[in-house]
Amino acid sequence: MRIIVHKAKCQGHARCSAQAPDVFKLDDEGYILPGDIEVAQGEQLLASRGARSCPERALELDRTPAVRAVSDVIEPRVWRA
Amino acid sequence: MAINAVPDHVPPEMVRDFSLFTSPGMAPAPNGDPHAAVACVHAGPPIFYSPYNTRDGRGTWVITRAADQRRVLQDAETFSSHRSIFASALGENWPMIPLELDPPAHGVFRSLLNPLLSPKRVVVLEPKVRERAITLILRIAASGTSCDVMKDFAFPFTVSIFLRLLGLPDHRLDTFVGWAKDLLHGDDVKRPAAARTIVAFIDELATKRRKEPVDDFMTFIVQAQVGGRPLTEEEVRGIGVLVFIAGLDTVAAAIGFGLAYLARNLKDQDLLRREPDRIVLAAEELLRAYPTVQIIRVATKDIEFEGAPIRKGDYVSCAAMIANRDPAEFECPNTVDLAREDNRHAAFGYGPHRCLGSHLARREIVIGLEEWLARIPAFRIQNGTAPITSGGHLFGIENLILDWS
Ligand code: HEM
Ligand code: SF4
Repeated sequence: MRIIVHKAKCQGHARCSAQAPDVFKLDDEGYILPGDIEVAQGEQLLASRGARSCPERALELDRTPAVRAVSDVIEPRVWRA
Repeated sequence: MAINAVPDHVPPEMVRDFSLFTSPGMAPAPNGDPHAAVACVHAGPPIFYSPYNTRDGRGTWVITRAADQRRVLQDAETFSSHRSIFASALGENWPMIPLELDPPAHGVFRSLLNPLLSPKRVVVLEPKVRERAITLILRIAASGTSCDVMKDFAFPFTVSIFLRLLGLPDHRLDTFVGWAKDLLHGDDVKRPAAARTIVAFIDELATKRRKEPVDDFMTFIVQAQVGGRPLTEEEVRGIGVLVFIAGLDTVAAAIGFGLAYLARNLKDQDLLRREPDRIVLAAEELLRAYPTVQIIRVATKDIEFEGAPIRKGDYVSCAAMIANRDPAEFECPNTVDLAREDNRHAAFGYGPHRCLGSHLARREIVIGLEEWLARIPAFRIQNGTAPITSGGHLFGIENLILDWS
């Protein structure tokens, strides 16, 4: 599972990291670090809870299995609110 | 209610007789429930015009759905915060910072202030917050089996945390609470007088800290740089005044509404007392059910919004008390469910102006509830008394007499 981080939408509510501090890392101002997040097996539940807790909808769950590992084709991404 | 002129561009069928100031349930009332009173808007359209919806009697569009409020508050280019509310009450024109600045200027100041109230910083402040809560509650517990929880706990607790943050001595606490009360809830004479007093106080404090720096918020501000230059006096004042008023009433009101709910719902109270791990989640639900702030923006251009012809200069209201009762966003929004999981509520706003103090406020509320429940046995509203709630720009609660005899 991967979490797509829409960094521009983050307003530093820090709800994600309150749910899963090991998954969602914040900068010194309290905003999410840029870059999508690969979630380890054991952390999926907490990570999806964290993603769903973002008031700004800045975190998008991408459950497609690691397509990118086998091909270079980039899947079109659908914004799920 | 005074009949205000509705602007010509507002179609008459979009005008509704609703206002956070004058609708039923908004005036100060014993045992009132202003949050339930505003929830009724969800039976109606997503946007309508309220002819009297600010303290000075102006009309606003009212956005009812949480998703639409998010859209408005995330789009600062179309919906501006530039209003100088505080200064205009004094016949002046300077912004409270960062609240009344728009991006990109907003971001410069916001980045400056963020580290002072970041989640990390709040962890450092936490022991003092807890110590303060415990001291106050022990004193209350030792002196009887009832108290006025706003006067004896919520205000002294939140205001002293905030004074410590600003590097101000505790002995002036009553003075500051008085100023804040006059400013936020006073009449047309008291409000400008309090505003003037607060400005003079902040200016004086800034001068003092320039001369003799110490390790506190105001010293940081007067020494700070933006874009390679120090802040102007007006900017220092804009920040100082905002931080002074933003953190005073809000946290106390949140604690008050929360304790009032628990005093009336003994099962929930008992559950939190026995299983304090639940308090963090419960505090979010109490913030959702009883938020206190109406946010207002000004349209910077003409725009159609869900069928409404918003014109440049129109006020647009995004009230957290309305968003948080939106059935499209929250299952059973009028039920308080202290274990609610999906709870992306709007109590601290959305978009770039998201409450700078939210991390501190959350910790204060959680710690306040934890220490209260740990030290005060089953409490209820004292027989023969009634808490007084009020609507308006900032919802509030007073005269909350709790009894655990
Ligand atoms: C439960 C308590 C609180 C609530 C419900 C609350 C609510 C809010 C809301 C809704 C906003 C957004 C206003 C807008 O978008 O126009 C805001 C902004 C702000 N709040 Fe709070 N607040 C609380 C506590 C605090 C505290 C404790 C502080 C300071 C220590 C604080 C400082 C600020 C500041 C500086 C802003 C302006 C941020 C900006 O414009 O970028 N607040 N607050
Ligand atoms: S919850 Fe959303 S807005 Fe808040 S820090 Fe995380 S990503 Fe940013």
